[in-house]
Amino acid sequence: MKENHSNKNEKAETAADMKAIHEKMKRMQKLRKALAYFVAIAISLWVLIPIIFITSMALTTPQMVRSYPKSILPFIPFSLDTLRFFLGSYGILDGIINSIVVAAITIVLSTIIAAPAGYAISRYVFRGRDAFRLSILAVRAFPIVVLSIPLAVAFLQLGIYDNVFSLALMHTALVLPTAILVLGSVFASIPYELEEAAMVFGCSPVQAFRYVVFPLVLPGIAAAAIFSFVLSWNEVFAASILTIQNRTLPAQVLATLAYSPDPYKFAGSFFMLIPAIIFIFMIRRYLFNMWGQMSK
Amino acid sequence: MSTQPKSQKRKKLNWAPYLLIVPSFVYLLVFFAWPMVQSLILTVREDNVLLRIHEEPTLSIGSVGLLPRGEMVTIIEQQANIISEDELDEPGLITEVWFEIRAEDESGELVEGWSPERRFRVRETDEDGRPIMATVRPVIGVDADPLTSIYSEPSESSEIIASLEAQTPVDIVDQRTLEIWFQVSGEQDGETISGWVQSRYIRAFPDSDEGRVNQGDTGQFTTRYIRRMINDRFFWPALRTTLLLMVIIIPIQFVLAIIMALVVQTNLKGSSIFLGIFSIALGLSDLAVGIVWYSIFTHSGYLNSILQGLGLISAPITYLSASTRHWIIIAIVLAEVWRATSLVMVIVVSGMQAISQDVLEAAEVYGATLWQRVKYVILPLLKPSLQVALILRTILALQVFAVVMAIGGGDVVTVLARETYRQYYDLRNFNMAAAYATFILILSMITAVFYLRAIRTQEEVSG
Repeated sequence: MKENHSNKNEKAETAADMKAIHEKMKRMQKLRKALAYFVAIAISLWVLIPIIFITSMALTTPQMVRSYPKSILPFIPFSLDTLRFFLGSYGILDGIINSIVVAAITIVLSTIIAAPAGYAISRYVFRGRDAFRLSILAVRAFPIVVLSIPLAVAFLQLGIYDNVFSLALMHTALVLPTAILVLGSVFASIPYELEEAAMVFGCSPVQAFRYVVFPLVLPGIAAAAIFSFVLSWNEVFAASILTIQNRTLPAQVLATLAYSPDPYKFAGSFFMLIPAIIFIFMIRRYLFNMWGQMSK
Repeated sequence: MSTQPKSQKRKKLNWAPYLLIVPSFVYLLVFFAWPMVQSLILTVREDNVLLRIHEEPTLSIGSVGLLPRGEMVTIIEQQANIISEDELDEPGLITEVWFEIRAEDESGELVEGWSPERRFRVRETDEDGRPIMATVRPVIGVDADPLTSIYSEPSESSEIIASLEAQTPVDIVDQRTLEIWFQVSGEQDGETISGWVQSRYIRAFPDSDEGRVNQGDTGQFTTRYIRRMINDRFFWPALRTTLLLMVIIIPIQFVLAIIMALVVQTNLKGSSIFLGIFSIALGLSDLAVGIVWYSIFTHSGYLNSILQGLGLISAPITYLSASTRHWIIIAIVLAEVWRATSLVMVIVVSGMQAISQDVLEAAEVYGATLWQRVKYVILPLLKPSLQVALILRTILALQVFAVVMAIGGGDVVTVLARETYRQYYDLRNFNMAAAYATFILILSMITAVFYLRAIRTQEEVSG
């Protein structure tokens, strides 16, 4: 009896233990989740606060920008004067137009050149494919600084220096590797069976591409184009080296950086950041896809 | 039977993919491979430093030697020679106009030939101002030839076909601009070289028969630019700072990126929102980000405002000045971590998504702690992604530029890319700029090879 009792007790104890362990694990899990939330929020603040700072500086009066100590509350007083002062400064509107022209040419050129290559690396298995992919990756990591100087010398000799078109040629080279990889992952996400089915039903390969693949990849091509735009819009080193009169926006801001007042700098920074933030947010899914494909 | 069609397929080479990659291949060749080689050439080769001296006043007759740029020469004689029309735009030409004239010589015979403009006094011009009539100038001087020579071609090295006396009237049929050639003599390596060169290469000093080789027409290989770069007062600081930034920034970025990726993977409510926020900085302009952090660290910036608001300081601290280099470096590190961690995060997250969820759950069921899971399961499986990210980030770190310019102005704290920019933009020295650029290229290649090697030997040891 006694033994039995103690046995029962033991059982009850183990059950209690189990329960305790379970509770403990649950608590741990909760704790871990709380910790994860805490870290996530902390990192989010780390990312967001500088953006809030620069935004509130750009959207207030120049007097407020110069004042000290600054109020941590943003947008007080809210005003477009700083931004207006920046946009009215010498060379800024021209710079914005040049930036857009360069980016537009870059988008067209890079899409035309990168789309076939992206299709080839995603659809065909051919000798040298891995070498080609690897060389694209190598080029992606290639120092852009190294390209600018010899190209500047060559452009001077050819008489196409200080020209938005020649800068666009350079920017196309800059975005081409990424464009090929993004487009490659976009094509890879569309099953070949669809194309095959279209061909079974009597489409030629070109027709199958035109009527089946093309509509499906259009958003992906748009994403690659947006990414090209952002890269070209942000690029400052080559733009400063390759242009003098026809500067792009970042090149103009950089050239006058040393002697420009703070309101000008802050508004310029804000103006450069906003399109990039919006566009990258729109296409972030494609960038994750691209890197997922690449590190396979 | 089933293998036969496959092997047939393999034999038939499919050209389609090659045709599709040709445009991008050519483009990358032109805009990457070619400039890379060109940059190297600019670094080790000086253009136009040696001047070829010709035996006769014509380019086709062989050279007697080379004179270096800057060498002083004595100009012995000069004469005008034919050059092509489009060469007339070359800078530094000393030219002379020659007339093609028609006149009667002393014996009454009609002669037609060429002679320099300075030998004539123009008497009549047409409505466009072109001379059509002139007389031969008298020759002044004791032992000067009183007659003016007429040449068969517009060059003093051509045959003299007639001589005209002073005051002879002539019709001007045509005119041409010729380039002067100098007969010079100069020294190279203690040896006197004398011969003919085009005037465009020589700066002749007025009122003397001296001149200087202004420019050469031949290049030579040199280590001058490399030596000058290494002795440049900014070279070592730039290299040190670049490497220092790399060593500080990259570990922080990787730790932070892995933490971000782990948080995103924890299946929190709203983890897609967090992922969205984390990837905001993915495509931000480095110049703009530099200015953002300048706004925080500048004298009247946010950092001072917050510290003063909290009562921690009574007067603003100056962070970004020549005497506070360390603060500039801290600001640059924070800006770069803020800007470029998201790229690493994206690579890590996409790598993690490829890890099977079962593996992670198994590790958790068997009681592995978070740290153990990261160390023994996640990191080894993430290796390919991390490898890509590491190479990419290291090479990009060697090019850090606009952030440094925006935060520190680029003088107190300088980096290699900034020196490339200084040589090109401020000092207009293309060769030195190319030397810096090539140096960055070589460093990038070394790091890439180093990483790939390190990873391979590690695999050999473990496998």
